[in-house]
Amino acid sequence: MKELYFEQLEERLYYEKMTNGLDVYILPKKGFSKTYATFTTKYGSVDRMFTPLGEKEPITVPDGIAHFLEHKMFEKEDEDVFQKFSEQGASANAFTSFTRTSYLFSATDQLYQNTATLLDFVQSPYFTEETVNKEKGIIGQEITMYDDQPSWRLYFGAIENMYHKNPVKIDIAGTIESIDKITAQHLYTCYHTFYHPSNMLLFIIGAVNPQEMMDFVRQNQASKTFAPVTPIERFFESEPTDVAIKHRTLQMDVQKPKVYVGLKAREVSLQGKAMLKHELAMDIAMELLFGRTSAFYERLYDEGLVDETYDAGFMLEHGYGFALIGTDTHEPQRFIEEVKKELARLSAGLALKESDVAREKRKQIGSMLRQFNYIEFIANQFTRYAFNDMNLFDVVPMLEEITIADIEAAFASIEGESQQTSFVIEPLGDNV
Amino acid sequence: MFEKIELAQGVTLYVRPTTQFKTISFSFKFRTALTAQVAAERTVLTNVLQHSNAAYPTTAAYRSALDDLYGAVLYFDTAKKGTTHTLYMNAEIVNDQYLSHEAVFEPMIEVMKSALFAPNLANGEFKPAIVTREKKIVEERIEAVFDDKARFAQKRLMEILRPNHPASISANGTVAEVNAITPTSLYAAYQNMLQHDSVDIYVVGDVDVASMVATMKEAFPFTARTPVTEQRSTTPQSAEFRYVREQQTMKQGKLHIGFSTPVRFGDDDFAAMQVFNGIFGGYAHSKLFMNVREKESLAYYASSAYASHHGLVFVTSGIEAINEEKAFTLIKQQLNGMAKGDISEREMTQTKAMLKNQLREALDSARGQIEVYDQYKDLKEPFTVEAWSQKWQNVTVQEVAKMAQQMQLEAAYFLSGREEA
Repeated sequence: MKELYFEQLEERLYYEKMTNGLDVYILPKKGFSKTYATFTTKYGSVDRMFTPLGEKEPITVPDGIAHFLEHKMFEKEDEDVFQKFSEQGASANAFTSFTRTSYLFSATDQLYQNTATLLDFVQSPYFTEETVNKEKGIIGQEITMYDDQPSWRLYFGAIENMYHKNPVKIDIAGTIESIDKITAQHLYTCYHTFYHPSNMLLFIIGAVNPQEMMDFVRQNQASKTFAPVTPIERFFESEPTDVAIKHRTLQMDVQKPKVYVGLKAREVSLQGKAMLKHELAMDIAMELLFGRTSAFYERLYDEGLVDETYDAGFMLEHGYGFALIGTDTHEPQRFIEEVKKELARLSAGLALKESDVAREKRKQIGSMLRQFNYIEFIANQFTRYAFNDMNLFDVVPMLEEITIADIEAAFASIEGESQQTSFVIEPLGDNV
Repeated sequence: MFEKIELAQGVTLYVRPTTQFKTISFSFKFRTALTAQVAAERTVLTNVLQHSNAAYPTTAAYRSALDDLYGAVLYFDTAKKGTTHTLYMNAEIVNDQYLSHEAVFEPMIEVMKSALFAPNLANGEFKPAIVTREKKIVEERIEAVFDDKARFAQKRLMEILRPNHPASISANGTVAEVNAITPTSLYAAYQNMLQHDSVDIYVVGDVDVASMVATMKEAFPFTARTPVTEQRSTTPQSAEFRYVREQQTMKQGKLHIGFSTPVRFGDDDFAAMQVFNGIFGGYAHSKLFMNVREKESLAYYASSAYASHHGLVFVTSGIEAINEEKAFTLIKQQLNGMAKGDISEREMTQTKAMLKNQLREALDSARGQIEVYDQYKDLKEPFTVEAWSQKWQNVTVQEVAKMAQQMQLEAAYFLSGREEA
């Protein structure tokens, strides 16, 4: 077991790689009565083309399968896992994103019992055609619920506009039609390929004794057998740099139109420290140029063109990345034009001031310190960073290093009209 | 857990010194009796105070000042509880010990003073342009409920269950009440709040109690006022069961059902009622989740919530419209079964364990400590996790069955998609 001390944050992190390849991290937090544990596989909705474990030919699986698998992990031959966690006083949950599937619990009691339950249920798949078919009704209602949410439709509409091929444009839960094709055999294939311990990370944080817990996890893992570690082959179709669709609108039963301007990133191949620097620099750029202290935002707010739903941010993963700037507004076309005009103006140079950059860095450092009060934040973010070869604990020192030149270089990734798209949700019967 | 210091009549400071967090959290709560007018005025007030003040006359200047203090957080919002309305100002700063060269505590006290006591005025009242703009923002926020079908359905159910009653008044007020506000009336509401509201101030973090008391007394010199008292929320004369169905252009059906119970927050049966709600639909092991979702695959979510201050229980579920009757029947069957005592020891153990876990977990954040304590502090006995866990522990199957028997089905609301044109 390795011990890592982070002086500025006053945190101590313990790490060990199990012989089966599982990465285990433990972070004790003094004063906390709860413990939060996440058990995450580097497998999400974008992983739809791959070579199954032990086979030679790649396959394409139905959309929504990673999320479907997440649902079905909770059902076992003799019990429902939620029931067991409840009995042990733990709140359990799971989520599937584009790139990860995470199972988690939080508990203030019976820590070892709950940890064993988490590890054991994720490591013992049980699927039958009957239970798979029964789940289609439940997930069907989940998909329908999201279909009725304008903010979700807006977000996916913008992403669909940006991407020609990349599966990030496919809804994480799939569609009613795509999930109908899922079989128990599909689930086993995906499970065996992506739920190998060497593709997973366990993070335990809170009221936990690191040495005892590491011993406990080691014993739990040693009692199970797994296939030998083999690298996973994932396939992605090549993606053009420019956006797929320049503009679309969708009508829904809403009061006020909603709009996103999407800026598709060119630089999507970075990992490790280079990726960390790039995304932090981009965060600073977005805040200074389009955030709530920017001159741009203030002018649009005063003109009544944007409201409190206004949002500007950047996200990056391996293979895709984009900035989104959006708001509810009565004049979506004018908003789109204002954003584009501002981008055109910025193409002549960002003209950033040292004092503004310094202030933004202070804000981000303070925000990071604040987030370190939340054990859920630490566990989930740490995992996301680790899957991209980054370290959450490098954020503060990296922020201090970033220069104006870094910010300008990063921003170039989303510059140019070829990267711009817009998506509008308008009330029924309107013509925008 | 908190040290209580009365700064003046009706003005109380609660301090909790702890090294658990890297930050210091503040919460100022201004309380008065809830009406739609008060809710509307206070909500617009939060927006206006959030926009700017005399020290920082533009939003950008205001936010930049906070960013400079290592991303200090400062925001206003409104909430309601039972028959009272709360306007609150929450703030959070990094504890100075994590910052090598600088101190943010003292400057933040100054920023909070400006935020509360030095508004952005012209001719002795709020600036008309800002008031007009923020009124519009609040009106559109109220209207935006329409876009979230689950929230909209719940709002409609409340209007049907308890019209013109604190239970159905939004903490944001109504569009009409917001529209009626003028810069003059808003300034009067602001003065009224500062002078007459009950004030509770919470501080959580690595602080010294004595020096915190001295700082707060000097920085926020509120004068004595008559504290607002929480009134027991009224229950109207029981009327016939009301079932309202409405349609919009949407896909999923939203079934919202309202029950009443005589048991309110703090009553002798309150703990039994919490256990009842947990077994009925409060958790993933509950009757509703296991039957409506897991067994019949009718829904992605099916749960119940207990609004203890008004003695109301809501069941909410998202279903396919053709399953309306089937789902409603299934929900009623779960309740009837519980009333007959169909409650397992396992369900009792699970629910008690979850209630205890939930309470202890809430106390792992500064905001959670403030909100839990604020809710329980007015009860007769002092609040401890152990005492509450013991209350749940003592609840029997018979008591839970009695809670189910007392549930009165009052109203239901079903929102569904229009027939395809």
